[in-house]
Amino acid sequence: MPSYAPYAPLSDRAHTSQLDIAGELLTLLGTVTTEPRADSQLEALTLAVAADLPVLLWGEPGIGKTAALTQLAESLQLPLTTVIASVHEPSDFSGLPILGDDPATQGVPMAPPEWAVRLVRAGRGLLFLDELSTAPPAVQAALLRLVLERRIGALQLPAGVRIVAAANPRSSAADGWELSPPLANRFVHLQWTHDHDVVVRGLGGTWPRAMLPALDPEKLPEAVLFARRAVCGLLAARPKLVHQLPTSETRRGGAWPSPRSWDMTLRLIAFATAADSSRDVLSLLVRGTVGDGPGFELLSAIDRMDLPDPELLLADPAAAELPERGDLRQAVLDGVVAAVRKRPEKSRWDAAWTLLVKAVQTGAPDLVVVPATTLATLRQDDWDVPASIEQLTGMVSVSQGANRAAARVAAQAGR
Amino acid sequence: MTAAAGRLDLDKLYAARLLAVRARPYLSTALFALHIVESPRAPTMGVDRYWRCYVSPAFVDYTPVEELASVLVHEVSHLLRDHHGRSDRFAQRHNLSGPAERLRMNIAADAEINDDAFGHGLVRPEGAIMPATLGLAAGELMEDYLHQFRLGRHTQELAWLDCGSGADGSDREWELGPDGADGLSEQEREAVRFRVAQGIIGDPGTTPQGWRRWAQEAMHPPQPWRDLLGAAIRAAASASGAGADYTYGRPARRSAALPGIVLPSLRRTPPRVSVVIDTSGSVSDVELGSALLETAAVTRAVGGRRDLVTVLSCDAAARITDPLCRAEGIPLIGGGGTDLRTGFAKALRAQARPDVIVVLTDGQTPWPAARPSCRTVVGLFRREHTQHDDEPNYVPAPPTWARVVHIG
Repeated sequence: MPSYAPYAPLSDRAHTSQLDIAGELLTLLGTVTTEPRADSQLEALTLAVAADLPVLLWGEPGIGKTAALTQLAESLQLPLTTVIASVHEPSDFSGLPILGDDPATQGVPMAPPEWAVRLVRAGRGLLFLDELSTAPPAVQAALLRLVLERRIGALQLPAGVRIVAAANPRSSAADGWELSPPLANRFVHLQWTHDHDVVVRGLGGTWPRAMLPALDPEKLPEAVLFARRAVCGLLAARPKLVHQLPTSETRRGGAWPSPRSWDMTLRLIAFATAADSSRDVLSLLVRGTVGDGPGFELLSAIDRMDLPDPELLLADPAAAELPERGDLRQAVLDGVVAAVRKRPEKSRWDAAWTLLVKAVQTGAPDLVVVPATTLATLRQDDWDVPASIEQLTGMVSVSQGANRAAARVAAQAGR
Repeated sequence: MTAAAGRLDLDKLYAARLLAVRARPYLSTALFALHIVESPRAPTMGVDRYWRCYVSPAFVDYTPVEELASVLVHEVSHLLRDHHGRSDRFAQRHNLSGPAERLRMNIAADAEINDDAFGHGLVRPEGAIMPATLGLAAGELMEDYLHQFRLGRHTQELAWLDCGSGADGSDREWELGPDGADGLSEQEREAVRFRVAQGIIGDPGTTPQGWRRWAQEAMHPPQPWRDLLGAAIRAAASASGAGADYTYGRPARRSAALPGIVLPSLRRTPPRVSVVIDTSGSVSDVELGSALLETAAVTRAVGGRRDLVTVLSCDAAARITDPLCRAEGIPLIGGGGTDLRTGFAKALRAQARPDVIVVLTDGQTPWPAARPSCRTVVGLFRREHTQHDDEPNYVPAPPTWARVVHIG
């Protein structure tokens, strides 16, 4: 550089070096604004970290996993410690064995690495284990103890330390090992994807500022009750879902249901409920913990918990409020008819008819047809047909229209 | 659904929906989840990705009930099969834009649905696009069709066709969009899809094959078999005893600098891989060739030198594998029968015992009764008839100790 200095144009910048100007340009480039924007995956990550569960971010290289972690650490006000798992040896996580003078009597101490000592001394922090999937099996085995027991050698990680790991999906990890099922079962798996609009807008200078969910102290007991009811309700009805080792090749290395991951799910539901998170966030968390299939079953069981109880509807049909959405309404009416079938009594049968009439008056008549037909077959000889049935004419005409069309279809097919 | 005002003949539409539900009971949840919106600007009937169904009142007036029922089933199929998401992904992958391409996607999506949607209580609506309309074979997916036809004279009459953004992913101006009323959120949409799939899996008796396959794959979309096969072989080849891992059997080079500390060292043992090929005549040359190429590429990537990869095959396959193996530099040992047990025995009897056995087969074979002494990866060519339980010549599934990857 100095050799060019005499030839530089004379200006007020004559004394500033090229590097200073470069620095100025970098500052300009680094000046970006943020805007609030709801982000389900960041919200899910925050909730899982708040719930003190280890999180595993799956994502292609270069889509901003590290950037998201930096933002998370900032907003939680935790110091961030990044450890690249694939460049470490197993002893860096299980402790370095140090031979003393007399190992037989004094034992061999396992010395922890420097970053762990610093983390323990700080008492709190966010530990980010990057490139987990490219770590050799022995390193993964050592990590198992770190993630599960929170121990590094002789050191115990304090409660204030939260663990997040990142891995590349199998398709992009060219020389990657895959996660063993026991290690996979200890994580909440979150798929990290980039949103095209966010990236384009961010490169233009405006990045999203995630709105972090706040836990409502008044909702805590209710949230715990809700979570327990949801998980126990499902598992009582579907014992098979309690423990299912992944068998198919597609699901290997991902989330799978076990008592441990169901316990994690319970915790996450409670946190999501207390934070009043959306169903989309809950869906990411639940499916990331027990896998897609069982996760969907749990989510639809939770949906059903929101539906009115058939027994309550039968007890007071006049005050009943039926859901607006057609498929939910159909599920409720089916539930009512099933309840009557289970315990057939004249009063309950009449109440069910009142409900069906109400459904015809407030919504689409076609979805009442099947419940009405089934309910009619439950009639016992000494039961009189209730007068309210007159009001089902709308339904009957729709049903007849369908019958006539069906006859035409049959005739056409027979030709 | 309470918005009964206007000229839309809701009773006729409801009768059509009832007919559709009776003809296709397994779709009832999805049909009832549709939120019907009266829309004079919609050409006929269209759906958006938020499960709203836009209906033109004039269309309902001039269309008979039985055809309306078929159209409803057709529209709901677009949503269940995620045609909007798949169109977006296809457009992104192939860098497509413009209304003409979206029309092509709508046509391809229609062809995917219509080849098995009608009959059995539903009429075929006039002008419904069948694969044959485009001169293509039935039973394929939208993505396959998209590669096979261009817009031209024979598709000119289809230019009016419009199933809404739910079919091709491009938003229409009359649609209510993400912020409009009564749309389903992403989680709600997935829940509906899940409930329909559960219903089909729970009671597959009357459901056509196409829908059963959809239900199986709805929640677990098949991954590219190349990645899976590669990951399985890589995992087997790098498991303890083979591949690169830490060992205390020999001190690390770092040890010299750190007296008093015992460090393990990274050791690399290239895995020996035996590929056993079973061809009972039903495996096509193309299938076998691509799978074998993939296997060779993966074993090279995990450090297997060429002399460590062995291919065992029966005589019928030698025809294909011989030139291929010569090109790849793999020594080919012929012989063996179509009974895979002899293939296993031969591979294990080899002078240097393999670390991994990769089996490429269509599954029409007896399997060894006991677990072999090394890891096994099975590449299984997909065959339709193995899915039926009532098949008379039922073939045993691959044993549980093998890692199975479905190919194709």
